[in-house]
Amino acid sequence: MSVLVPFAEVGFAESWWIQIIKAVVIFLVGFTLVPLALMLDRKLMGRMQMRYGPNRVGPYGALQPMADIGKLLFKQQFRPRTSVGFLFAFAPVISMICAAATFAIIPFGGTVDIFGTEVGLYGIDVSIGILFAFAFSGLSVYGLMLGGWASGSKYSFLGAMRSAAQLISYELAMGFSILGIVITAGTLSLTGIVEAQSGMWYIVPQFVGFCIYIVSAFAETGRPPFDLSEAEAELVGGYSTEYGGGRFATYYAAEYFHMVIASAIAVTMFLGGWQLPFVDPPTWVDPIVVLVKTVLVICVFVWARTTFPRPRYDQLMALGWKILLPLATANVIVTAIIVVVTD
Amino acid sequence: MAEVIFFIAAIGALAGAIGVVTLHNPFYSVLALVGHLISLAALFLLLRAEFLAAAQVIVYAGAVTVLYVFVVSYVGDGTVPLGRGGARLRVIAGLFIGMLFVELCIAMLGSGLKAIDGDGAPYVPGFGSPADIGEALLTKFQLPFQIASLLLLTATVGAVMLARRRDGGRALDDRPYVPGQYITPRSLFSGTLAEAVGRMRAPPEEPRQPAPVPAAAPAPRDGANPASGDDAGEEA
Repeated sequence: MSVLVPFAEVGFAESWWIQIIKAVVIFLVGFTLVPLALMLDRKLMGRMQMRYGPNRVGPYGALQPMADIGKLLFKQQFRPRTSVGFLFAFAPVISMICAAATFAIIPFGGTVDIFGTEVGLYGIDVSIGILFAFAFSGLSVYGLMLGGWASGSKYSFLGAMRSAAQLISYELAMGFSILGIVITAGTLSLTGIVEAQSGMWYIVPQFVGFCIYIVSAFAETGRPPFDLSEAEAELVGGYSTEYGGGRFATYYAAEYFHMVIASAIAVTMFLGGWQLPFVDPPTWVDPIVVLVKTVLVICVFVWARTTFPRPRYDQLMALGWKILLPLATANVIVTAIIVVVTD
Repeated sequence: MAEVIFFIAAIGALAGAIGVVTLHNPFYSVLALVGHLISLAALFLLLRAEFLAAAQVIVYAGAVTVLYVFVVSYVGDGTVPLGRGGARLRVIAGLFIGMLFVELCIAMLGSGLKAIDGDGAPYVPGFGSPADIGEALLTKFQLPFQIASLLLLTATVGAVMLARRRDGGRALDDRPYVPGQYITPRSLFSGTLAEAVGRMRAPPEEPRQPAPVPAAAPAPRDGANPASGDDAGEEA
């Protein structure tokens, strides 16, 4: 029997139980990567700063994220008297939903034959592809804004406004940086884009796009050096100033989830997805290749965090609007001309 | 399944639309608008117009309405409810609503409601896909597409004219923006441990020339000053 998913033009209809299993597996993989990214962030940053990083909980400190999350979850929930109750509780959920939903389109491999059933190693392969990710990254702005506004605190509010402005500005550059790839590959579907990279990874012809994407991804995920909303000296803690306990843990995990997703999208769009150069490994290696590449890109995030100082806010805006956006536009135009000429 | 999703989305869209006009706190009004737009996107998905749904969420819910939220949360803090408007406004609003109602009636009844008994348009594979929409926009609807772009361009130029700073943007930061101002000249080993322990000193910077006195009095500022390594100067 075939169940038509209302919003997915799947290449073949997958039965409902496969879809449910896939949803659970993807959810689990996503939420396994988040503590891993958290751990990697702290450990690697420690090493880069010539210290050990967390090393008390578990072997090599590997259970530190569990301890952190456990501590946060068992803390008392409290909120300021001026806050707006339901929005205050709901805003972190928006952030988390948007992060988790985007993970559904990351392809970990092509279609494989598992016990005689064709299964695609991705959540859904939508025809709108990368636009799906942008739709949810557009909505995730609300998570920050509502959180900051509903806190009823000026620090939170200003931090939220800063983050939202930053996100909106860099979303444009991010979208344009990927447009070159869409033009070259001729498809929006992420699996299609990965398959189009079998000859050459898009990081080579689209190197400018890759640089723009990575810089925008730093800003979009609010990671250092673009963590202006959390500039302690000016804004205390940004939009999450008033949050504590499990709600703060949700925001915190969502931030790392966004980082994982930005890395995974970079892998899919620029670094060949599940493909390896010169070798053609068996199908079961594909998800491992994607995961390893994703972790490597996360290392770049950590590396940038330890390397660059935080820019001023006007510098951040100038970088986004006056350098990255014109550069990305020029990249799109040049790519389009080349594609038309060589076609 | 499709029916359930349709009714959820339709109820969401109607509730959102009603909420926009009835809620007194402008912030919640805008949030209701967001809910309305997202419900509309879900309805588009049911119609298999995936690209339209994505565009709806990205452009309207993700960009336009975020700016509304910006304005509303800065300006109206919810303590001041929206005024009920004067008598004249109410008359004008009533007139507009009446006109809109008549127009909709003409549009719907004018078709004779023939479609009620029909089965609706059949689903053609590829309909509503990005490629399909792109082709339609660039061939059949080329002229309306260009005119709509022109409209947006006009609005953009107008917004820039209204929002520009009258002093040419120098009020905030007296240095103008120079491309590449973040790239500061540094020595090869700057920032390394070798430099920190004093093994690789950065070459001492030559003393700065005093800025030449501008000849004309109203010249606003001297040369571009492309961020000449301030940090290196402090180390020396």
